[in-house]
Amino acid sequence: MASTSIPTTVAAPKKRARGLTITMRALSNSKIILSYGAFYALFIAVVIGFLYPSISSINMNAYLTSNAVAGLLGAKLTNANSYSALAALELYSSFYVLIWGGIIAYIAGSTLPASIENGTLDLALARPISRTRYYLEVWLGATIGAVILSVTTFLAVWVSTLFVKNAGIDWTWLIIAQTLELAAMFLAGGIGVLFGSFINASRAAGGAAIGILALFYLMNTLGGISDNLSWMLKIEPIYYIQGIQALAVHSITGWYPLVPVIGGLVCGIAGLVIFNRRDLPTT
Amino acid sequence: MTTQEPVIVIDNFHKSYGKVQAVKGITMRVEQGEIFGFLGPNGAGKTTTIRCMLDVIRPTSGTLRVLGLDAQRDKMELHRHIGYLPGDVRLPGQMTGKQVINYFSRLQGLEPVLLDDLVARFDVEMKRPLKSYSKGMRQKIGVVLAFMCDPEVLILDEPTSGLDPLLQRTFNEFLLQEQARGKTIFMSSHIMSDVEKVCQRVAVIRQGEIVTIEEVEKLRQKAGQRVTVEFGDPVSADEVARMPGVSMVTSHNSAYHFNVSGNMDALIKALSHHEVLRLQAEEAPLEEVFLKFYEETKEAASR
Repeated sequence: MASTSIPTTVAAPKKRARGLTITMRALSNSKIILSYGAFYALFIAVVIGFLYPSISSINMNAYLTSNAVAGLLGAKLTNANSYSALAALELYSSFYVLIWGGIIAYIAGSTLPASIENGTLDLALARPISRTRYYLEVWLGATIGAVILSVTTFLAVWVSTLFVKNAGIDWTWLIIAQTLELAAMFLAGGIGVLFGSFINASRAAGGAAIGILALFYLMNTLGGISDNLSWMLKIEPIYYIQGIQALAVHSITGWYPLVPVIGGLVCGIAGLVIFNRRDLPTT
Repeated sequence: MTTQEPVIVIDNFHKSYGKVQAVKGITMRVEQGEIFGFLGPNGAGKTTTIRCMLDVIRPTSGTLRVLGLDAQRDKMELHRHIGYLPGDVRLPGQMTGKQVINYFSRLQGLEPVLLDDLVARFDVEMKRPLKSYSKGMRQKIGVVLAFMCDPEVLILDEPTSGLDPLLQRTFNEFLLQEQARGKTIFMSSHIMSDVEKVCQRVAVIRQGEIVTIEEVEKLRQKAGQRVTVEFGDPVSADEVARMPGVSMVTSHNSAYHFNVSGNMDALIKALSHHEVLRLQAEEAPLEEVFLKFYEETKEAASR
């Protein structure tokens, strides 16, 4: 072991830019799960591209217009013979809100508790970093993750159109559908950081956030299946995220996208208040 | 940063977790350039106090000030000037030592000016992922993280935990060097021998209350002498216990062992009434004073 002696006078340390250190770390820790999501988007887009010629010849109208399937998809399509409709069915239905939303909810929900579990939160907050900044950077990390998944999904659809003849994708409506899905992921991120703000175990927090999304999906499905349960649709946010509708039939209800965005903001801000007020545990 | 008041001022600090009172109104001061020991058994309230000083948890009442800054209200300014070593250094396993040091140096917003010295002094492994580190190796990274940006005040929670004896000695030497450079160091421990080598003063906390705040030298005087006497004539243990200044009497192999506080003169005069075959006196270990505080805790709990 070397024996050294620190000089009596040490030059004052130079300032160093903090940048978005916490955000970058949150993204780096989430790279595997984000990669799964991105791969899944690409895989699905390519598969439906390959399958389109066979699927387009099948008359699926009776199937798609049944209440049960409409409940699962989150929309009642009358025609799935176009490539746009097939892409909407496979990448922008409410089921995919659950999948990609679940990925973002898990990332957002698990990041803060993971920093408690691995001991970095105490060490970080002992530095000139406010809790607000720490929380917002984690939330930003989840939101950037959502943007990465959105861009990847968009690119995946574009890749699939390279080998689908007469794909006929309306790019404006694809952007709208993707924006709706991004809004859904923003909601999921808000739910995630809310759970992460008060649950100390990363898997529990991420899992609870996914559980809430799954509950919304279930309500969306049940509300779509039965007229008696249609009241459920209006009280859960997935009903208002109609990316499938936007891409397949080029329609959107003006204020609907505001619901997930406002929901995400409310959850995220509620989590910020909780995180700022609570005592942080050692484990 | 210069302050008129002591570097650390804790006034009537209370912390409760629901109905459990973890800290019950402690008050203490740590002066500039001091190495101050904060001693107590596990669960006494040491870590709670330290974590309140860092605003990771909030006091129920009372104030904690460091460098003249309020630990809650002025935490951002305060945290520019302190280094912290947690009691249990746990770090993300996938990061390397170098990455974790870079991460926390960025969060500090300062270049790690002492990094090279610290890495050489403590022989810190930088390249491997932290998941392959032993507890001692992680503790060394924790030491580097606390000191690397040359903070004015160090808050160390059981800093030698997990370090081998050689490293403990290196660490103690390092603390004394840092003190010579004007640093103020507040360190907690539950092991008296850890702090007696480096601290000028210690506070002993037990069940959330300060039992004593003393200079280590005065504690040593209180501990007094450990005396061994072998008599040539029959002397009962009761009689030995009644001799002036005697406490903690035990007997072994026809010899009595006991502690003597204060002046030895009265004891020697009392011993002169008997035939003394052997008399041996040495400085009593401080550990015994501390154990006495521990034992009082148990007795208080059992009452």
